Formats: sequence, C-alpha cells, structure tokens
Amino acid sequence: MSAMLEFKDVNFFYQTKAAEIHALKDLNFTVEEQSFASIVGPSGCGKTTILSLIAGLLKKSSGRILLNGKEIEENDWRIGYMFQRDHLFEWRTIWQNVILGIELNKPKDADKKKEFAQQLLKKYDLYDFISSKPRSLSGGMRQRVALIRTLVMEPALLLLDEPFSALDFQTRLKVCDDVYEIIKSEQKTAVLVTHDISEAISMSDKIIVLSSRPATVKHVQMLNLNGETPLSRREDPTFGALFDLIWKKLTNEKQTQNS
Amino acid sequence: MKNKLKTVKPPKIAPYSKAHERYLKKLRNDKIFVISFQVVILFTFIGLWELLTATKVIDPFFVSSPSRVFNMFISLVEDGTIWRHIGITLLETIVGFAIATLGGTLIAILLWWNKRLRRILEPYIVVLNSLPKIALGPIIILWVGSGMSAIITMCVLICIVLTTISMLNAFNSCDADKIQLMKSMHANKFQIFWKLILPNATDEFISVLKINVGMSWVGTIMGEYLSSSAGLGYLIVYGSQIFKIDLVMTSTVLLCLLAALMYLAICLIQKWHSR
Repeated sequence: MSAMLEFKDVNFFYQTKAAEIHALKDLNFTVEEQSFASIVGPSGCGKTTILSLIAGLLKKSSGRILLNGKEIEENDWRIGYMFQRDHLFEWRTIWQNVILGIELNKPKDADKKKEFAQQLLKKYDLYDFISSKPRSLSGGMRQRVALIRTLVMEPALLLLDEPFSALDFQTRLKVCDDVYEIIKSEQKTAVLVTHDISEAISMSDKIIVLSSRPATVKHVQMLNLNGETPLSRREDPTFGALFDLIWKKLTNEKQTQNS
Repeated sequence: MKNKLKTVKPPKIAPYSKAHERYLKKLRNDKIFVISFQVVILFTFIGLWELLTATKVIDPFFVSSPSRVFNMFISLVEDGTIWRHIGITLLETIVGFAIATLGGTLIAILLWWNKRLRRILEPYIVVLNSLPKIALGPIIILWVGSGMSAIITMCVLICIVLTTISMLNAFNSCDADKIQLMKSMHANKFQIFWKLILPNATDEFISVLKINVGMSWVGTIMGEYLSSSAGLGYLIVYGSQIFKIDLVMTSTVLLCLLAALMYLAICLIQKWHSR
C-alpha cells in the first residue's frame, strides 16, 4: 500500500507570553492508504496538535506534510475531522446537523452528497431520527451522527481525536465497532489519537508511539490481528503481548519524563 | 435528493402505565396548587387593602383602595384620556426596548468580530454600565430636546449597555471546540457567527429580552418623570403633585399589567423557540 499521509521533519513551535514551546520535533511518519493508524503518547505531548496540523487548523513551523504526495492545502476537503465530543448543534435537527458541511461549502454535487447522507443514516439506523433534535439521542447514536456529518463530505482521510473518550465503557466498545465498520466499509484512511492502548491495538494497522514534548516518533508498531471488529480483535492471542509492549514504551517515556 | 424530508416521530420513550399516570397526576396537582396559591395571595392582598381602607385602619388618602382605583380607571376610560396615556407610554417603551435590544446586540456583534476593538472599548463599557443613567437626564433633554425623544433616549441608555455586555458574554462563551469544528469544515467567520455563535446565544438573548422588558419600563417612566406631558409616568407625577393618590395607584396598576403582558409575550416567544 502506498503512503497517503507523510510527515517529513515536521517541527511545530507555539508561542506563549512566557516562552516559545517546541511542541513537535523533526516528526517523521507515514500512514498508508485505507489503513487505520493510531497515535499514542504521554499527556500533553502534542497528539491533538498533529491532527490540527493535518486539518490545517494550525500552521507547521517547518517540514512537510504531504497528502497523496502533495503538500496539504488550506480548506482541504480530502480531510475530515471528528472531535472528542460530538459537538452536535442542539438547535438543529439530526438532518440539519448531518448536512452542515454541505450548507457551509455549497458543493456542486450537493444533491448527491445529501443522498449519500441519507443512505448513511439509513444504513446506520439513524434515519428514523432525522427530524429529532440531538438531545433525544443516546451518546453512541450522537457519536455515529457526528461521524456521518464528517463522512458526508466524502473525505479521503479521517482524523479522529479521542472520539470515544466521553462515552461509558460498554457504549465505547459498541461505538468503536460501529465507527470501525463505517470507516472500513467506506474505505477511508483514518488517524486516531487516543490515550487508550487497548482501543489503539484493537482498531489499528499501525501504532505510532510519541515521546514527551517536544514530541518525536519513539516507536512504530505494525499490527495484523485476527478479527473483523475491534471487539473480536481483542481476543487475538497476541493482544496482551502487544499491550505490554506499547505500555512499556509509554511508561519508559513517562519515567524519562519524570527523571 | 430534495431538502424536504418526511417527518418521522421518534418512538415514545416512557411506557404508559398506572405509575406513569399517577406521576402525571402529581405534576398536574402540583401545578394547580402553585397557581391556586398565587391567586389566593393576590385576592388576599386586594381584600385586605380594601378592608383596611374601608374600616379606616389605614387612610385611603395616602394609599387609595381597590374600589377607588377601579372607579378612577372607569372614569378615565369614560373620558377616553387613559388610552392616549397608555398608548404613549407603550409606544415609548416598545421603541426604546427595540432600539436598545437591536442596538446592543449589534454592538456586541461588532465587539465579538473585532477583538482589538473590544479590548480598546472594554473600560468605557464598564464605566457606562456603572453610571447611574438618571444623572444624564438634563444632558439628554439638552441634546435631544424634551418629550418623547428624551424619554426614548433614556430608555435606550438604560438597556443598551446591559444588552451589549450580556450578548458579548454569550457570544464569547461559545465552546472553542465547536468553533474549531466549524473551521475544520472550512466555515468562514461570517458562517461561524451565523450558524454557530448567534444560534448558540439564543437562550441568553431571551434572558436579555426578559431583563430589558423590566429595564425599558424603568427607563420610560424615569424619562416621563423628567420630561413629559402625557403617559402613565406623567399621570403618576401629576397625581402625586395634586395629591390624587387614586390616579397614582391606577397608573401604577396599569403599568404592572402592561409590563406583565410584555413579559408574557417574551415567555411565549421562549416557549415557541424551545419547541
């Protein structure tokens, strides 16, 4: 598989009143097309910053970020961003929330995209709620709506910023399966930022372990677990060993950080 | 696909049962209890007022009485003057209320749009907010003349700063992640404002409307005290000058009723909005 996303010697500094902070240092990694990559690392190491750079919400200080071999542009519709919380607008119906991106950008194929939105809502059992307000949906359903809102614009690359962290454990496992299924069936490439090692292992083809700030790539782990869904992949015999490995990489990092 | 989609009602969440029926009945009874007590308090107050003045326990010359207020109202209706006074006060209040609410919101939008301007103007807004507006009365008359224009200006001055501060707070309290979400969907600043910031501030806007209902009546009556030849505020001042407390009380009761009606209209808007 060819690399869809490439980080080449990316550095990022941000400015505060007290100092200039070096957040990302010579960051290099790739994410292959139609694969699922997770980024794990100590708290505050700059995981979300990486997603913001890819989405064009922040500007890198140096280096190159390539999408399909070309530098990422501002307002790049090839990228979709899903946040930690669903951020559905409570004053809009589910349908109005889902088509928000279409309303904002008025693409030429708006009708086609709306049709696609309708198909997704039907496929993922949300069509009966199109006229309802978000408050009448469960946490898991809301997160599915948020994902559909992102998918409607048909991005090639999906950025997921801890999208399950606000959910309780049971819902989290279910929504994890749902989101994984949607991403795989829609043949998307995804980059997930998470604190949860189990979640990263169960969903990913590749895990990128970051060091503490300034973040560098400390370890890259390729995965090939058996199982169709994240839940079933947790039953793979190598799951435990992989968890230990990633955990050790992270705890070593924490010890280095403390010393 | 067309934009219009068939409305599908979500499934009923609570199953209907005896326990649910009991719960609904309890809610109904609770509501009836509260409303009954509100009515009892009102009628007790009116009854006591009438009784104490009729038996001369308190002097009706100073406090009037419900029957005197009613008779005064009837006589004012019969000679037709009351409608002119009500109309003028209502017009001043509604115009002042509308200008202040709209103007205050527009200033808040401008300050949200331009952070630097907000930082520059912040101390002036704070000073204007703490300034007792009645102190500006003579200057207002000097600048805009006496009569309706001075009264409306007073009303606007009382409400506009508060509206600006409240609406600006509401705009600024929007979740930063939601703004990031809009940016990630390539929304421009106008779209962020129109589709997120403004609708997100609707609850605060309704609160501002409710506060402004009260404040605009205060502004109008204060303005009428200062400079007027008609209106309910004028009737109150006139009545007190000639020791006609019945006229003062009738005007005050009418003011209460009009303010309550205006507040009710805002509550209806709120109910319609939250549907």
